[in-house]
Amino acid sequence: MTTPTDATPQPTGPVPVVLVDDHHMFRTGVRASLDGRVQVVGEAADVDQAVAVVHEHRPPVVLLDVHLPGGNGGGGAEVVRRCADLLGETKFLALSVSDAAEDVVAVIRAGARGYVTKNISASDLSGAVVRVAGGDAVFSPRLAGFVLDAFGTAAGDVAVADDELDRLSKREQEVMRLIARGYSYREVASELFISIKTVETHVSAVLRKLQLSSRYELTRWAAARRLL
Amino acid sequence: MTTERPPRLPLRRPPQGRVLGGVAAGLAAHLRLPVLLVRVAFLLFALAGGAGLVVYVFWWVTVPSGDPRLAADTTPTSLQRLAPRLRLRGPVSALPVRDVLIGAALIAGAFVLVAIRAGWDIGASWVLPALVAVGGLALAWSQLDAAHRGRAADGGRTRRSTLVLRLVGGVVLVMVGVLLLIGQDAPVPVLVQAAVASLAVLAGAALMLAPWWLRLVRELGDERAARAREAERADIAAHLHDSVLQTLALIRSRADDPEAVARMARAQERELREWLYTDRTAPGTSLAAELRALVAEVEDGRAVEVESVMVGDCVPTEETSALLQASREALVNAVVHGRPPVTVYLEVTDAAVEVFVRDRGDGFEMDDIAPDRFGVRESILGRVHRRGGTADVTSRPGWGTEVRLRMPRDGSAGPATAPAAGTPTDEDEPSTTADEGART
Repeated sequence: MTTPTDATPQPTGPVPVVLVDDHHMFRTGVRASLDGRVQVVGEAADVDQAVAVVHEHRPPVVLLDVHLPGGNGGGGAEVVRRCADLLGETKFLALSVSDAAEDVVAVIRAGARGYVTKNISASDLSGAVVRVAGGDAVFSPRLAGFVLDAFGTAAGDVAVADDELDRLSKREQEVMRLIARGYSYREVASELFISIKTVETHVSAVLRKLQLSSRYELTRWAAARRLL
Repeated sequence: MTTERPPRLPLRRPPQGRVLGGVAAGLAAHLRLPVLLVRVAFLLFALAGGAGLVVYVFWWVTVPSGDPRLAADTTPTSLQRLAPRLRLRGPVSALPVRDVLIGAALIAGAFVLVAIRAGWDIGASWVLPALVAVGGLALAWSQLDAAHRGRAADGGRTRRSTLVLRLVGGVVLVMVGVLLLIGQDAPVPVLVQAAVASLAVLAGAALMLAPWWLRLVRELGDERAARAREAERADIAAHLHDSVLQTLALIRSRADDPEAVARMARAQERELREWLYTDRTAPGTSLAAELRALVAEVEDGRAVEVESVMVGDCVPTEETSALLQASREALVNAVVHGRPPVTVYLEVTDAAVEVFVRDRGDGFEMDDIAPDRFGVRESILGRVHRRGGTADVTSRPGWGTEVRLRMPRDGSAGPATAPAAGTPTDEDEPSTTADEGART
């Protein structure tokens, strides 16, 4: 799943995108600010509409608001779950104004490939869309912070075995920490003396752990945040 | 024309503008008549054989207290405005009715005593018990209104205990009065027997009705709690909307100053987000909250956006407050001399508190700074060193500057990040296998 098989040569045209947000003003703003690398092919304002539009257009990337009305009240996470049949070809990038970890992590765990805040600059957003379309995970500093919060930062929280799902490996923890400190992937790579591709692999691995890990660490984290 | 008339207000006893029990005021509002007219009518009827008095007392007991205008407003709560309505009329000070009544009763009593002394037989055998019973009734019923008011004022326990005491006293008085009235000529043992029997019946009835009564009370309490919660939410929403409106007005008036507009919008956005999506912590218990407030302050002062990420939290100590001050200096430096994006990262572990401040400026050489320049050397590095922490600055041209501050935490780990002790996490030391450098 995380193998970089998606590293196929990028299609030359702009990436088609479906934009899901319940605020018309925000959709207009995003549509106007996205640059030539991205083209908005559809829009939706609530959960049911989003599921329908995504199934109709089958875009490579969906820009998805975390807080959405409609459906069963599950917001963005519900959209991703109800589009699970498309997860192979369609990738979701969560876009949120909320800083609440539980909201964002819920969407990521449902299958979204990244998370950016709504105050991201237009060119950064376009870049993130292209990156997600290319199969990479997009980690904002804030999401990296959530991940570190969820999996723990103590020495005892480091995975011993490679395939352990409930803990980050030491390297993954280092990568997350640098991203949380505001480093770009390139800066992370040069700081740790590894290639950018390796950084991306680590990030994808972290995303997979966040999505698949059994509840153990997440439960602890949720309990600490009084979610359970 | 008649179709234009608004519907009649429901019959309620308004809390404002009442003289005795608010019956006349409520009736006047209901019938759309002048209050004075209604009052005079009541007085006249009262003088004419006491009918007015009886009707008044009947309505006092049966008509609920409340503002008729509010009761008439049938708009559902969800559609009403969030901000509470302003009260246009202040409370009208009512006559000291109670004192007047007590005085009247005392005078009447004195008059009766004098009359008896003068040899006037008024059939004392039934007057006294009747008076006792009526006094008990008045004592018990007078609490109905007081109970309403006590709830609003939230007077507390003492009010409730006196309330119960008066109610019990009233009930006892009524019972004694009724017994005396009925058992006028009966011998004492029969009287006692009758009293015991009636008490037993009452107790049996109470026992039977108790479950219903308890359920009623519980439901009432639940409903009241729900209403209080709803009111609290409405308060918060009103506060939010109010501040947003203010900011929007400010933005409109300063639309030609993009920097000010951006600053106000950002401050407002941050405030809204905090209110909407986060649980607020009690002041003085959260280092992360303090750092967040500090970041907000710097952001507002300099109109530069700062991205802050917090992992873990702890209770602030003297050491961490030194760390915070140093972070503030570093942040101000980054905002003034560096270029955005500026990032602040706080990580609290059991071992240490770490803060990283990063900017994308041109960077500088540490050695280029004149030794007498206080900024970095003293206020950032020195401050942390003195408290036993470590601090260093990395700066490269074209890369920016990063200030790294680390303050070890002593053994007393704060409760905020208390580790889940005994979890299998610490089964093994992180061995060398954790190195994943060759993972590509």
